[in-house]
Amino acid sequence: MQIWINYLDQILIYASLALSLNLLLGYAGQVSVAHAAFGAVGGYTLGYLVTAHNVPMIYCILIGFVFAFVAGGLIALVAMRLSTEYLILLTLAWGYVLIGVFSTIPALGGSFGIISINAKPHLLSFFGWSMQRPTDWLVPILVLVAVTYSICWRLGESPFGRILKGVREDPVATQSLGKNTFRTQILVFAVSSGLAAVAGVFYSGWLGVSTPGVFGFTFSLTIFALVIFGGMANFSGSMLGALVLTSLDPFLRRVVKFDQSKAFLVQVIIYGLLLVFLTRVRPQGLIPEGSTLGSILRRKRSEGRTEMGKASETAPTFAVREAVAEVSQVDRHARWEKAEVVLEARGISKSFGGIIAAENLDFVLKRGTITALVGPNGAGKTTVFNLLTGAIAPDTGTVTLLGRDVTGRTLDSSARSGLVRSFQDVRLFQRLSCLDNVLLGVQDQPGEKIRSLFANPRLVTVKEKETHEQAMKWLSFVGMQDFADVPTASLSYGQTKLVSLARVLATEAEVLLLDEPASGIDVKWVDNMLELVLAISAEGRTVCIVEHNLRVVRDLADHSYFMELGRITAEGTVDELTSSPRLAQAYFGTV
Amino acid sequence: MLAITIGREIFAQLTMNGIFRGASYGLIGAGFALILGVTGRFHFAYGFTYTLAAYLAYTFHFRGTPFGPFSDGFPFIVSGILAILFTIVVGVAIEKYIYRPIAQGAGATALLAVFVAALGIGIAGQSTIALLWSQQSQGFYDKDQIVKKSAWHIWKVTFENLDVFQFVTSLTLIVIFSVVLTKTSLGRQMKATRVNPDLATIIGINANRIYLVCFGIGSGFVAVSAIWYGLQYTVNPDMGARPVTTAFVVAFLAGTASSPIRIFMTGIVLSLLEQWSSMFIQTRWTQTLVFVVLFVYLINKSAKDTLWGKRIISIVTLQGIRG
Repeated sequence: MQIWINYLDQILIYASLALSLNLLLGYAGQVSVAHAAFGAVGGYTLGYLVTAHNVPMIYCILIGFVFAFVAGGLIALVAMRLSTEYLILLTLAWGYVLIGVFSTIPALGGSFGIISINAKPHLLSFFGWSMQRPTDWLVPILVLVAVTYSICWRLGESPFGRILKGVREDPVATQSLGKNTFRTQILVFAVSSGLAAVAGVFYSGWLGVSTPGVFGFTFSLTIFALVIFGGMANFSGSMLGALVLTSLDPFLRRVVKFDQSKAFLVQVIIYGLLLVFLTRVRPQGLIPEGSTLGSILRRKRSEGRTEMGKASETAPTFAVREAVAEVSQVDRHARWEKAEVVLEARGISKSFGGIIAAENLDFVLKRGTITALVGPNGAGKTTVFNLLTGAIAPDTGTVTLLGRDVTGRTLDSSARSGLVRSFQDVRLFQRLSCLDNVLLGVQDQPGEKIRSLFANPRLVTVKEKETHEQAMKWLSFVGMQDFADVPTASLSYGQTKLVSLARVLATEAEVLLLDEPASGIDVKWVDNMLELVLAISAEGRTVCIVEHNLRVVRDLADHSYFMELGRITAEGTVDELTSSPRLAQAYFGTV
Repeated sequence: MLAITIGREIFAQLTMNGIFRGASYGLIGAGFALILGVTGRFHFAYGFTYTLAAYLAYTFHFRGTPFGPFSDGFPFIVSGILAILFTIVVGVAIEKYIYRPIAQGAGATALLAVFVAALGIGIAGQSTIALLWSQQSQGFYDKDQIVKKSAWHIWKVTFENLDVFQFVTSLTLIVIFSVVLTKTSLGRQMKATRVNPDLATIIGINANRIYLVCFGIGSGFVAVSAIWYGLQYTVNPDMGARPVTTAFVVAFLAGTASSPIRIFMTGIVLSLLEQWSSMFIQTRWTQTLVFVVLFVYLINKSAKDTLWGKRIISIVTLQGIRG
């Protein structure tokens, strides 16, 4: 009996490690092959404090958590700018360094580790509940898994988790929607590491030892395998993965009757082959992202009937259609003259080495109007967007938004102050649904902060409902409400442009910078797009577009700036610009 | 100065050790850099191919075929060559039958998917070796005594003839490889594929074939290193972990797009650091030193990318270039 409970204890401890790794690997997309090393922080904290200082286990949990939290945060600081292959190497090195250092410190038992933790059983207890037999451990370990699951679930399946997924898909696009990806990435690494350390404390206590071998690279790989096997970004998958894979050991030893070392080797071989087989056949793991065990079983039964995720190539129908009166270009320009200045750029310059990308640019964007930047390829139009939103800091010059100086802000902070851009190459979050994409655009969500997630759950729930309504409103505005649950990877190009517009609109930003909103989409979609942009501007928002299609510019723009080689060389209505032979030649080349 | 107070002999001895050991780091590092740089596969199973090569050479030499003229084992040289060829076949097969289909299925997340598969192959392969041959170390030597281990003394420095053979083969392979890379059409095709596989395909390069060639060359390099190592020490299932992980570090420090000569030199410098450091810190710390160096490098790289470069590039260029 005890022996089976012991296996159950092991499964549950492994599961809690897999849960916290999944938060990091599956949700945030940060590959870590050093999760066991963070567990070692906890395990060694317990081992050292219990054997050398008679500290009860409950304090070891707290101290281990804090140590690993800080260490994880520091690693994240280095990791966040690195690409996946460097991240793998970084965490690999971290694992080796940490275990290497532990095994050279005599106070931590050197290469033998600390091996007599359970010699002081009175310290391994909670509130008088002493833990010596496997059955004693079961209850505290169940609490461990429950707490880890709750924390990970709360973080992963919330507005905070949406930012994590956004960072995983495209960090720059996430920042462009005003999200502080820096804070989020550091926090998730720190929390995940801290939780791993807590599980490490239990693991060492349960085993009675904390040694370099126990927390070595093989253990990190085992946890990694559990997560991949169970399914990334899916916590029930991690539980299932731990259950299935960890049960291999008792199966091989009790049922097949292998001896201990042979059972271990065969088990590792099976892990390895499963990883290879799974990445080939079912890369999303046993339970894919967004599914539950129940939903998979149900789908199996009703297979053939459901036809999900098929995006058809129908032009959108508009739920909101503003009547945009036909106004002549001259009238529109007159209106522009009178409109209030919202954004003003003065003397903006930027050079990269010897290449001048922008030279002494002066321009204004006005409320309720559409301004166009036109010019030949390479004139620096997109660079202007980068300079305005702070993706690139200008060398000289100032940008003022409603009287406030916003020069040189970061991408996310300028988005929060009301200056949001779209991307020429769309940059939707591919694996997220259309609705999730737009949800990420909504500002001021309390659920994006860890503190309110746990301290003020009611507020988070209420706000989340409002956020959903807002996102649906904008999705309907662009006519994509029927595709709310469809991952954007399966949309047509025109549809992605619409969703990206909805995402930008959801930020409710004062100024919208739209980078080629109508390029590359089907002719029949262009008119829809134009109407949408006009409707936005009619609502009183300030719009600036970069566009090559002169027809689009003519239909939309109240005022245009003509750019050549990083300089603004002319401004006025489109007709004024195109009637100049010199500009026409600069734009179209010699005819 | 410190070196002098500690003793010139020790310093010279450590330098010699560093150069010999560094040559193998350099060779393995160059193979790994070639694979990662050109094919983009994080070939974590590289350590397994290392171990496999040593075990194959050992088995061919001591066991041979079940019957026939080689039932007592192949001659030493033949065993070595057979082992290298087999390892090359295994490396190429891993790319062709495992990595390539996985990468094609995974699209944008190919790097992670291939890494996971490579991990799987690595741990399964190593455990299979332990299961088939036992977890104990096996003594590996030329039983016909043609390649006999002998100690050489120059001044007060001692080393083995095998050290020299290992160094010379590593250096020769690196030189031949860099000539191939710069002077031949195949080399130019590899470099073109490294820069942009899609574009290379458009101009008529068979990128898939180039990938296989890279895996072949890389596996050959690792096999040569492994066999020398096995001869000098022993063969055991864990033997691949340490040298290959160090070689990963070498490849990243030098840059995966660097010339083989540069990677080779980086290997020697890192190895010298490792050896010399044992004059100042305890030997058990030196093993960690390599990773500390890597750590410092990555922190520096991350800081540089934050302040300059990467952030801008990722915004200005088209989608898909992350880091």
